[in-house]
Parts: sequence; structure tokens; C-alpha cells
Amino acid sequence: MAEALLDIRGLSIDYEVGAGVFHAISDLSLQITPGRVLGIVGETGSGKSTLAHAIPRLLQEPPARVRSGRILFRGVDVLELPRWKLPLLRGTGIGMIFQEPINSLNPAYRIFDQVAEAVAVRKLRDSGQTPTLFQAVEPHDYSRGKPVKTGPALLHAAIPHLPGIGTGARREALRTEVLDYLKLVRINDPETILDLYPHELSGGMRQRVMIAIALSEKPALLIADEPTSALDITIQAQVLTLMKELLEEVRTSILFISHDLGVIAEMADDVGVLYAGHLVEFGPVEDVYTNPRHPYTKLLLRSVPNRYKTDGPLPALTGSVPSLAKIPPGCPFHPRCPLAREICSQDPGPVLERAKGASASTHLSACYFSEEVATIG
Amino acid sequence: MSPALVEAHGLVKHFPLGRSLADAISRKPGEVIHAVDGVSLEINDGETLGLIGESGSGKTTLGWLLAKLHMPTAGRIRFAGQDITDLTGRDLLAWRRNVQVVFQDPVGSLDPRLRVWQIVGEPIQAQEHLSRAELKSRVAEILPMVGLPGGSLDQYPHEFSGGGRQRLSLARALSVRPKLLILDEPTSALDVAVQAQVLNNLVALQQDLQLSYLVITHNVAAVRYVADRVAVMYHGLIAEVGPAKEVLEHPIHPYTKALLAALPAPDPRRRRARYRISGEVPTLVHPPPGCRFAPRCPFVIDRCRSEAPALRAIPGRPEQLVACHRAEEVEDVPPEQLLTGIALAVGGP
Repeated sequence: MAEALLDIRGLSIDYEVGAGVFHAISDLSLQITPGRVLGIVGETGSGKSTLAHAIPRLLQEPPARVRSGRILFRGVDVLELPRWKLPLLRGTGIGMIFQEPINSLNPAYRIFDQVAEAVAVRKLRDSGQTPTLFQAVEPHDYSRGKPVKTGPALLHAAIPHLPGIGTGARREALRTEVLDYLKLVRINDPETILDLYPHELSGGMRQRVMIAIALSEKPALLIADEPTSALDITIQAQVLTLMKELLEEVRTSILFISHDLGVIAEMADDVGVLYAGHLVEFGPVEDVYTNPRHPYTKLLLRSVPNRYKTDGPLPALTGSVPSLAKIPPGCPFHPRCPLAREICSQDPGPVLERAKGASASTHLSACYFSEEVATIG
Repeated sequence: MSPALVEAHGLVKHFPLGRSLADAISRKPGEVIHAVDGVSLEINDGETLGLIGESGSGKTTLGWLLAKLHMPTAGRIRFAGQDITDLTGRDLLAWRRNVQVVFQDPVGSLDPRLRVWQIVGEPIQAQEHLSRAELKSRVAEILPMVGLPGGSLDQYPHEFSGGGRQRLSLARALSVRPKLLILDEPTSALDVAVQAQVLNNLVALQQDLQLSYLVITHNVAAVRYVADRVAVMYHGLIAEVGPAKEVLEHPIHPYTKALLAALPAPDPRRRRARYRISGEVPTLVHPPPGCRFAPRCPFVIDRCRSEAPALRAIPGRPEQLVACHRAEEVEDVPPEQLLTGIALAVGGP
């Protein structure tokens, strides 16, 4: 098996605020192998975004505090990196796309400057003129599809540090490449878009620009945190189509985070289910969806409305997600679980291990009674 | 037959755009946003009408018009047989107990400085003047209907989860026992598990209290569970309307098909191929002369670009009204065909 690109071991993250200590992530371990798309699904407050922000060290500490664990990205423990090295990790190593593109784009700069900044940073690192943590060439390769047309690498030695200050010739050199990336994300009429400000674009267009920025840095790992949740469904379908096409062209690993089970089914190769900061199930997406081995996954899948389903109430999960300050002992799902027995409420809770009755050996479940999940009516 | 609870006829709402001082002085006519551009619909007693469409299609504006939160530019609204278009002052205030709105944003529509009994009791207080104790006891009766504990009277909105706030908003709307509830995106801020609870709660309440609902949503799948009839809006007009089962299982209008095809199924075995509807909902300032969906429609012909289609029934589908010139030809095209790379085969000449 290929070596993991990202290897998270026993990660626990707390938020310490006035009202108490919130356990956002509890003893979470997962791996992403190169070229795979890992989907993380969970409800609000399950710790998805904390996980997304912890990997590139974007959590604000305090209030957040990493209690234990290691985040190994290409063999380097991200948590041990000194603060000054973090910018070297982000962008060219780990790229991010967030839910609200309007918050990620700078309202005061034109689209050109924002994409050009990312391109320029990556070029400097590629050419060895600024330090980098990793060589950006591998495993980002274009072998699976037609190559991305990048413009001639005509960059002058000293790129101005701030975007928008470059002289004519430097801007021209970047312009070709910026246009290539905007075309890559299927923006019609990219020449016009270049000179617009973010507020002049629609939500779908802004998210395309964000994807262009993230890809232009050629990250080895792309973290997409609810990238389409703020978009209308026809626009969401367009952006998902685009991301799937790009996956064919640009091989990069993706951590795809969403609350939408449909979106995850569409995008992911593997899926992890988060509940109250615990990874309760993990496995190939087809196995998890068709043969769930954790009661929470099963009940969550059942409560999704389907346009063909007709009569009777929607099967709903009873109760609500526990507060992260008061996670039940043992299995965090036991108060809402139809299979719960006495052992489920006792510490330490079930660990993530190979699910009983699952066909794939990589299908894991944190449930003592995983073989009985199919009996939940 | 008794008249429908709500009858809207030819509703139009235009919002004027800001214009420069020079234009204003030279009396140049200002431009307007055509938010709602001639919509007629009915909601019957005890019925749920689902209104679906993307953002910018005018569905929220239509809801606000029916709740008389906007004054229509043109058109009439009748409520239980009475023309309410021009109601003002005291009459309007008294009428408002008939129609209540659950707003889209459960955080923004609850005053963070008021307690639960004040929030839920506010519409009651606007209608009848009660003492504090009477008001509290009325509110305490309402809270259990939406699944909130009666003991939470003195709490503040921030103490509730997202689903709890949505229930609070619902309790406030129910407090004056309205006949029609307008629910604007009732579940879009909620997780799927909570969404199921809220949807089931809505259906149960409707049966208990004989309410009519207008459910405005972009969630095409959720609407199937609550709606009797569904209207699909695009660009300020109704594209298709009919029984929920018909519209969602046998959509005729290409836009309805596009919406349904865009819905990701929670099933990795039904992974979709490419989605072929390009473009976005255009801004509503200069509507195209013909069909408004024509620029994005995969079935477009020349006629669509010049002549606006009227809402009509097609042979064999009497209950479903559709505004499409090619309705008979595209009727049987399944939504999934809008996904694949194959050429769109359409029957007929």
C-alpha cells in the first residue's frame, strides 16, 4: 500500500473558553493516500471544520488547544513546525477552499492580483528562490489527462512581494498563467473577469476563482471545507462537475468536508463519519453507504429526504447532538442508539476497528455491535 | 365549491434600482428589478404549496407579497374571498393574524435581547392586550406543540441550537393561530437529522391545526415530504405547477428537470456524469423577450427566444400546468438525461 500523504494519529483538540472545555476532536486517526478523495461527513458541531483547520495549523490557539496526537504530512509533523515555517506549508503543500468564497477573497484587490499572488508564490518556491518545505513537483502530476497548459515560465527574478505593484512586463508574464488557471476552472470570458473585484462576481464564479487559486499553487493536498454548501443546487452541480473533471486532469489528494451526504457520495472515494468529535465509521464510500456498520451512519442515511419516497413521516433521529462540553461516556452515540446496552455507556468507549460483517477490510466501525446494525429497521 | 384560501392574480413586484442624479433630473425612466413578473396561484384550505427555485428566482418576494409585507406593483390578492390588496392600518393589523411568516434566518429573525415568552408572545400582544401572566401561560401552551419544553419561557434565543431556534420561530408564527403559514426555507439552516424532525413536526401540526402552508425552499427533496402541490419559479415567473408527485416524478419543464438532476443522491452507486445546465440565474433587470430559461435550456429552439410561453396544460396531464413551447416534445425526457454526455434526443417533428 502506498505511503500515506496525510497520517493523523490520535488527534484530540479542545476549545478552552469561559463556559468550559469543549472536546471538538477526540482521539481521531485517519490516513489519506495520494490521489484519493477522502470525504468527511458530520453534522454541525461534529468537529469537521476544526479538523479542516487543524491540518494546515489555521486554528486559533488559544482558545483551541491540541491536547494530543500527531498530524504527519509527507512525513513531517505539522504540529511541531515553528510558526515561521507555517506559510511554507500552506498553499504549495496544503491548499484550502472554504465555504464562503466571499470571505476568502480580498475585497480590495482585483481577481487578477489574487490569482497572480498565488502563482507568483508558487513560482518562487519552484525555482528555489524562496525556501520551501517540500518539493512541489510530486505527487502533483498531470499524467492522467491532458496536461494543463501553463504559460512560459518567464518570471523575473524578483517578484514584488505585494500583488498589484508589479511593473508591466512582470504583470504580462503572470497574466498568461493566470488566464490559464481561470480557463482551467471553466470561467467564460476570463479576460473580463481579471479586472473585476470579488463583489462583482456571483457565488459560483467566486468559488471557481477560489479553486483556481488553490490549484495554481499545485498543492499535494487540497482541503475543501463545505465548498458548495453556500451555492444553489444547479450551481453546486456545476462546481462538483468541475471538481470531478479537474480530478481527472490534476491528480491531487482531497479532503472533502461536507454535511451533505449526497455531495460526499458524489465526490469521495473513502468516507469518514464524525459524531461529536469521534470518528465512528470509516471506509470505502460504497461500502459505508450501502452497508453501514455504525448505527449513527445508518440512521443518518435514512433521514435524508428522497424525491421518490412517498407516504409516512421521514424516519428521524431522536434527540440531538450532545454538547461538546458534555460528551456522554463510552460511545458518544449511546443515548440515541437503538442498539445501546450497558457496556456502551462505559469508558473507554469502542475503538475504531474492522467492522464485523463488512466486506472490505478497510471498512472500520467504532461500535461493539457492528454486526447488528443491519437489523435496525 | 368554496373559494381558495389564497388567490393571487397577476402579481407583479418591481424594485426600482438606484439611478444617478443626472438621470433623475432629466426624468429618464429608472431601471427596475423584475422580482415577480406576473404570477397567479391559489392555495386551498389545509393544503401545502411548495414553491421551489434557485436564489434570485423571486420566490421569497412572492411569499412576502402574499403575507402583505410588500405592496405589489400590480395584481390582486384575495384571502378567503376578500380582496386584501389595499388593506391598510387597523384592518391590515387585524388581518395579519391570518397569515404568519417563518423567516429564512432563525438567528437574524429572533431578537437576542428578548426572552422566549416575549418573542413568542409578541404577535399575540399585537392582536390582543394581555397581562404578563396571561401571556406567559399562552406561550407555555404553544411551546410543546413545536417540541420545545414549556419550562424554557425565560431563556434567550442564544441558548437554543439551530433546530431549537427554528422551532422558536415556528412557535411565534403559530401563536396567533393563523390560517396560512409562510415558511421561507424552513430547513436550509439545519442538519439533515434535525431537518427530518422539523419536517415531521410541520406535517403533524398541519393535521392538528388545519393549517395551510406555503413552503418556500430550494430543497427539492424535502418538499416532497410536505407539499401537496409544487410550483417551480424561475426568473419571476412560474415555470411549472401541479401535484407534488407529478411535478417531482414526471417533470415536464426543462428547468424542473434541471433542478431535479442537480440534486446529489446519497448513493455512491448513482454517481452522476457531467451536469449540462450551464450559466446561472441572470439578474432580473432586463428579462429576455422570449422564455426566460431559453439562454440555459438544452432544448431551446428559435421560437423560445422571441415568444414568451404561457402557463398551460398539455394533453394527458390535466393537473400539471407548464410554461414551455416544447412541453409535448420534452415531456418524457428523464431528468437524468441532463447529466450524460449523449445528445439529447427529443421526439416529435
